[in-house]
Amino acid sequence: MKKIIGIGVAVVAAGALGFAGWLFLGRDPMSFAGGRAVALADYKGGDVTGVPAQLAGADLVKRGQYLVHAADCQACHTAPGGTPFAGGFAFNMPFGTIYSTNITPDKQTGIGNYTDAQFLGAVHQGIRADGERLYPAMPYTSYTAMTDADALAIKAYLFSLAPVSAPPKQAQLSWPYNQRGLLALWDVMFNPDERFRPNNAQSPQWNRGAYLAEAMGHCGECHTPRNVAYGLDNHRKFAGALTAGWRAYNITGDKNAGLGDWTDEDIYLYLSTGHANGHGGAAGPMGEATDNSLSYLVPDDAHALVTYLRSIPAHTSDLPRTVTTPAPASHKEGLMADADPRGERIFAGACASCHDWTGVSPVTGYATLTGVRAVNDPSATNVAQTVINGVDRKTSQGKIFMPAFGEGYSDDDIAAVANYVTGRFGAKGAHLTGRDVADLRRQASQQPNSQEAPHG
Amino acid sequence: MLTLTINGQSREVDAPEDMPLLWVLRDHLGLVGTKYGCGIAQCGVCTVHVGGKPVRSCQLVVGDVGTRAVVTIEGVGSTPHGARLQQAWMEGSVPQCGYCQAGQIMSATALLDSNPNPDDSDIDAALAGNLCRCGTYIRIRRAIKNAAAKSA
Repeated sequence: MKKIIGIGVAVVAAGALGFAGWLFLGRDPMSFAGGRAVALADYKGGDVTGVPAQLAGADLVKRGQYLVHAADCQACHTAPGGTPFAGGFAFNMPFGTIYSTNITPDKQTGIGNYTDAQFLGAVHQGIRADGERLYPAMPYTSYTAMTDADALAIKAYLFSLAPVSAPPKQAQLSWPYNQRGLLALWDVMFNPDERFRPNNAQSPQWNRGAYLAEAMGHCGECHTPRNVAYGLDNHRKFAGALTAGWRAYNITGDKNAGLGDWTDEDIYLYLSTGHANGHGGAAGPMGEATDNSLSYLVPDDAHALVTYLRSIPAHTSDLPRTVTTPAPASHKEGLMADADPRGERIFAGACASCHDWTGVSPVTGYATLTGVRAVNDPSATNVAQTVINGVDRKTSQGKIFMPAFGEGYSDDDIAAVANYVTGRFGAKGAHLTGRDVADLRRQASQQPNSQEAPHG
Repeated sequence: MLTLTINGQSREVDAPEDMPLLWVLRDHLGLVGTKYGCGIAQCGVCTVHVGGKPVRSCQLVVGDVGTRAVVTIEGVGSTPHGARLQQAWMEGSVPQCGYCQAGQIMSATALLDSNPNPDDSDIDAALAGNLCRCGTYIRIRRAIKNAAAKSA
């Protein structure tokens, strides 16, 4: 009997160890590429870090500005309508709400007293100047790959900004998530704390793309699913995930769920402008990533990202292939069997004038629904979010605008129209309820997630 | 300088490409029959035809018009359906305050152009985005049906 128990314990222990090992192995974002990773100095293809050649002669602050854009610090470190980099952006998670910090050089409330070493500690290890640990909403497990020189150029740029007095907002997390000390364990497990190592088997363009995607742009923080411990699961790298109430889509090469059908030019245009004809445009967090970060990349860097993205192994996911043919011109055709007439009525009144009954907009290519991934997502998550929040992007190509309907329409209305839109223009109609929409609103909200927070 | 085809005429306009067509029509070309309402494509009063389709001109930037022909309420009376609809509008005394009516007629004309015999649900689908604060919807629907009957 004792022997059987002993064997049982051993099996459980081995299983637990194996599982922990599996989680641990999933933290390396570039292991898929094989080949041999080498120290930066040993890479034959030249330096793939830093700023592009055009800016090589620029002063430190100017170089830092390019890198701040590439690392997209601004999107998270700016509250809606607030001063850039002064923090206060809310992250609502199942276990509470945390806020981004003020990274202007204010000495009392910002990072004005940070030494170079302390700044590197925050960027690479997630440790604040006072020794406390940052929550990994700050993507230090990605930034840890950034070179010291690039991180310090970013610091130089941030220190060139006007200091803004903006005291940090208190995180509202339930136990045990409010115990910052526990993050030490998490960090051992999920932060490699290692600078970028180029892959000798890959081209300089690929390595540049890898540096931009992993160390700077931290694409995986939204596009890679997370494991039970909230670490990134790179076994399914870039296969898509839900972040802040929006779906970051599968950007692997999968033909149905991913970018397999996109041309290189499509991906390049989407990254650099936030839109590619036939595939729709970026909204929500990806709209911010485009407008604050990706659109600033020089063409060579955006092309390097395309090269890198193209090398990611395909992963299937629950997304169907996108429908690329327009819907019928008559509202009477192209209906789902169980269509809710409420969705059609709302579409007729609020949507059809720009999106047309066919889905091909007579107004602007940005409003065409045909072929758009969000419309071909049977969860309708991003369709509902776009209806709630609208689109208000200012790009070098001009303004991209859709009204926000979240204030004027009920949860049931928004669910009905999202179901109608995915059914009429996409591969499979959604079955959202008003309760689902309320939940999506809560996740994307900038208000604290008071229901879960201990101090409301 | 942009060249636009408006109501069958070629017009030169010196306006920035990102200016909405509605501003170009009203402020640059003096075609003030097309009205400004909500500015976010939710009321329909600014509807014009671009390439034969009803479009909210507050949302279409003039640089995106290209070579597509623009027809406004000033020109729609010289199209067969536009003329019949305007006649039916007068016979039925459709307008009350009138502010939305140019947009209503533009949407109704585009409807008859693509579907000469619309039923109630077709009219709803085509005109649901044209709001009327006075509530003339019943008269609008009747006028469209009368105009359609005359076309047949």
